Amino acid sequence: MPFDPTDIALSILKIVIVLGALLNVTPIMVWVERRGSALIQDRPGPNRVGPFGLFQSFADALKFILKEDIIPEQAHKWLYTLAPMFGLLPALTTIAVIPWGLAFRLPPKRIFGRMFFEGDYIFNPIVADVNIGILLIFALASLGVYGIVTAGWASSNKYSLFGAIRASAQMISYELALTLAAVSTLLAAGSVKLTDIVWQQTQYFYIFNVIKIPAWNVFSPSMWLSFIIFVVAAFAETNRLPFDFAEAEAELVAGYHTEYSSMKFALFFMAEYMAMAAMSALVATLYLGGWDIPWWDEPQVWWASVLTMLFFTAKVVALLLVFVWVRWTIPRLKYDILMRLGWKVFLPLAFVNILIVAFFVAKHWI
Amino acid sequence: MFEFAIFFFFAAVAVIFALVVVLHHNPVVGALALVASFFALAVMYVLLEAPFLAALQVIVYAGAIMVLFLFVIMLLNLQHRREEPTRPVQQFLGYTGSAAFLITLVYYIVKYAAFQALPAGTFNSDVRMIGTELFQAYIFPFEMVSILLLAAIVGALLLSGRSVRTSAQ
Repeated sequence: MPFDPTDIALSILKIVIVLGALLNVTPIMVWVERRGSALIQDRPGPNRVGPFGLFQSFADALKFILKEDIIPEQAHKWLYTLAPMFGLLPALTTIAVIPWGLAFRLPPKRIFGRMFFEGDYIFNPIVADVNIGILLIFALASLGVYGIVTAGWASSNKYSLFGAIRASAQMISYELALTLAAVSTLLAAGSVKLTDIVWQQTQYFYIFNVIKIPAWNVFSPSMWLSFIIFVVAAFAETNRLPFDFAEAEAELVAGYHTEYSSMKFALFFMAEYMAMAAMSALVATLYLGGWDIPWWDEPQVWWASVLTMLFFTAKVVALLLVFVWVRWTIPRLKYDILMRLGWKVFLPLAFVNILIVAFFVAKHWI
Repeated sequence: MFEFAIFFFFAAVAVIFALVVVLHHNPVVGALALVASFFALAVMYVLLEAPFLAALQVIVYAGAIMVLFLFVIMLLNLQHRREEPTRPVQQFLGYTGSAAFLITLVYYIVKYAAFQALPAGTFNSDVRMIGTELFQAYIFPFEMVSILLLAAIVGALLLSGRSVRTSAQ
């Protein structure tokens, strides 16, 4: 591969944009969660620090940094320290293969007396447009369980270990349903590349040849079952209520991060919200048309691309709000119900769903 | 040049973590080191232009099988006791057997694989191509493997079910 400074600069720019967005998700979402829960429970919530309590997250972050970092005597020092970092890994890496906007051609331009973008550059808003797209996401997401399991084991605490064991059983179970539900979107697009899946959804279909509907997977009747399974499994994979058995504060103190304090605890916090954001981006890409703006054939120019990026962000934000809304609305299930639901309801349904979608695809109804 | 650097870095990672698996006395550390080793191996597949295999390597081994291993090790709650070797004959047989295996492996790798030019032509690792091959040319072995796995699952269920029944009596 020849060394091309412009290409490398563009890649670095994309990485900076994605990481910047992802790292800022946590403080904003913590504020949204606390204010949202207050709204749902009819109380004011944090409203003292800054307008609407917006700077509460800064105060929280400062407090995290200033607190003492305690490592328990009985803990396995190395793994105890490494575990929060394992937790961050999947969210930070899966986001790399999710497309967040329309590709556009960069016109040659003179900046500071030098010509840039002469050799036909295309700005494709995705960090790595790999051929195996969604497989890479599942590969990296399947590593997410190690952060929790290592944390629980290394703490040498019974509650932590219980949380870790519950989490690993839960995540293994729901990973199957999640993956199988996503297969239907691959069948419809005929590709595992996420960019292809989005392009397939930019088309339209018609009801009675009159009403024009964007071909987002969520609007296709054959995909409804898969959409429901995917979203429920996404809640289980990110360990959010009603499936947050990894922490379950009423039973396990705080589950796998009982012993953690200071920035190590903050890293688990960040991992949870970043995993939520990555999962929301994935749901938006697979089912809600990705960056597609409905009823508009986007021209491949920079301003249209920026609009698609904003639209994609809006979809992700809407899904994140659903995460918060569900957390403060639905109580926690019992653990055996969760496992039964995963293996005896969602897994068979996901298999049936693949057959249904395959039938639709074979008949060219999608 | 850049690929060379990546290769040697991840080759070193794979070997070092494989050594940790064998030599470390704590089974949980061993299992996690094996995950790291598998991950480094997946990078090798990417360098060989087989990203599909790399993804499968991580999904199947690092993501599924090793989680199960770790799960079982944690549930067993093994103590970190160093045990004195008690069976000299078995130990001797183990060492000679693995030494013989290593020598044979190195001999055949040097003779047939190392220092040989790669076959010409591009290696096609497209997911679609692999799928078509798997479900047309290799459909019979594929189905046989599925039946084997199904038999293993049914067997495991049967064995665990029996132990529950006997303990209940």
